Amino acid sequence: MPELGVVTRTLLGIARNGADERILATAICRAYVDGLGVDGASISVLTATEARETLSATDDTAELLEELQFALNEGPCVEAATTGNPVLVPDVHDTTDAARWPVFAAAVTEQTDGRALFALPLQWGAVNLGVLDLYRRLPVTLSDAQRRDAIGAADVATLMMLGLRTDPGGDDWLDTAVASRAEVHQATGMVLVQLGVSAPQALARLRAYAFVHDRLLIDVARDVVARRLSFAEDVE
Amino acid sequence: MSRSRTDRERSANQAFVALADTMVADYDAIDLLDRLIGFCVDLLPADAAGIVLGDARRELRVVAASSEAAELMELLQLQSDEGPCLDCFQNAAPVSIADLGDAVDRWPRFVAAVAERGQFRAVHALPLRLRGQAIGALNLFDREPGPLPEHDLALGQALADVATIGILQERAIRRAEVVNEQLQMALTSRVTIEQAKGVLSQHFGDDVEAAFDRLRRYARSRNEKLAGVAGKVVRRELDPAVFARPSGPPHRAPAPRP
Repeated sequence: MPELGVVTRTLLGIARNGADERILATAICRAYVDGLGVDGASISVLTATEARETLSATDDTAELLEELQFALNEGPCVEAATTGNPVLVPDVHDTTDAARWPVFAAAVTEQTDGRALFALPLQWGAVNLGVLDLYRRLPVTLSDAQRRDAIGAADVATLMMLGLRTDPGGDDWLDTAVASRAEVHQATGMVLVQLGVSAPQALARLRAYAFVHDRLLIDVARDVVARRLSFAEDVE
Repeated sequence: MSRSRTDRERSANQAFVALADTMVADYDAIDLLDRLIGFCVDLLPADAAGIVLGDARRELRVVAASSEAAELMELLQLQSDEGPCLDCFQNAAPVSIADLGDAVDRWPRFVAAVAERGQFRAVHALPLRLRGQAIGALNLFDREPGPLPEHDLALGQALADVATIGILQERAIRRAEVVNEQLQMALTSRVTIEQAKGVLSQHFGDDVEAAFDRLRRYARSRNEKLAGVAGKVVRRELDPAVFARPSGPPHRAPAPRP
C-alpha cells in the first residue's frame, strides 16, 4: 500500500462525533495549513443559484481571496468549481498564470500578500460540493508527494462532506473504497430517476436504506443495479 | 486469428489514425480510452481489456473496460490487493501470464477469485509509462491460456503509450502540476459517467452496458465530450429522451419491480 500523506492521515483521524458542516470545514482547513505548510485555507460552497457561502476561512487573507474571486467571478477557485479539476498556481505574480485571470491576479497583487494559490474542488462525479482554497505568502511549487497528498486528501474531504450531507445516522464517514465503486455510482443514477432527486439526495437514500436494514452500501447498490430493489415506491 | 499480417497492419494503422484524430484541441480522455480499449480487443488476441489509473494516493481505480466482465477482473485484483496489473503498475514493467493456473503461488487470492468465476485464463498487463514511472496499466484478458506473441506485445505497448499521451495531453505536461490535475480529471469523469449510466439505465429499463452505448452514440454523433454529456444527464440539464435510439422502440417498459 502506498504511504499516506500527512494531510490525508490527519483527515482520516478526524472524529465523526458531533461534526456539522462548519466544524468539519474548519478541521479540514487546519489539516491542510499544518500539513502542507501553507499560510491559510478556506472552504466555500457553491449552490446551483451561483450563490456561495464560505463555510470556513482560517484568516482574513483567506477570506478576502474568496471574496475577490466571487466578486470578479474569476480565479483558481472559480475555475476549479466550473471544471471540477484542481488548479495549482505556484506564483500568481508569474505572468503565464496571471494571464489566465488578469483582473483577479491584479487584485490579488494589489490587495493581498498571497503568492501561491491552490484550489482543490470537492468534486463527486458531476456534483461540485465546494472548493478548498489554499494560499501561501511565498511562491512555492509543491513536491510530487505533497501534490498527491493535497489532491488525495481533497477526495477524502469530499467524502466526509458528502458523508455529512447524506448522513443516515451511522457512526462512520463514507468508506473511500466503497465510494469509488462503479455500482454505487450507477445505483445513485438509478435512484436519482426513481425519486426525481439530486445525486447527493439519491446517495443519501441509498445510505439510509443500508443503515436501516443493517446492510452494506455496496450490496444495496448491487440490488438496485440488478433491479432486485427499487425506490420508486416507498421502501421502508 | 487467421487474419493475414498485412490486413492486421492496415487495421493497426487505421486505429492509430483514428486515435490521433480523437486527440484534437479539446478532447475527452475517457472517450479516447474507451476507443482505445475497443481497438485492443479488435487488434490483439484478447477477449477483453481494461485500463486502471493510479489516483492521487497511488491506489488503482478502473477508468475504462471493454465489458463488465473486464471491469470485474480489474476489481478482483484491486480487492485481492495482488495480481499482474498491480505488479505491472508497481514496477512500471509488463507482466504477461500465459496461464493463471500456473500463478497460484504468486497471487493465491487473485487466482482463486478468478477461478471461482471461471472467465479468463490469460492476463497481460502493460504499463502506462511516464518518465520511468507508471501512471496506470492496460490489461488484456483472454479466455484461452496462451502467451502473447512478441509483435502483439509491442502493439499493445504502443496502444498503452497512446493512452498515456491521451490522458496527460502531452503538450501540457511540462508543468508537473498538470499531471496530477489531469489524472484527477480522468478519475472524476469516470464517476460522472457511471452515474449517467445509472440514470439512462433506469429511464430506458435496459442494463448499464446498453446505457453506456446510448451515451457514447449520442456524444460521438454530436462530437461532444462523453464526460460533458454525462454531467448534463446527472444534473438533469439534458432530457434522457434524447438518448432514445431512432431505430428501436423509443421507450422500453422498465423492468418489473420486486
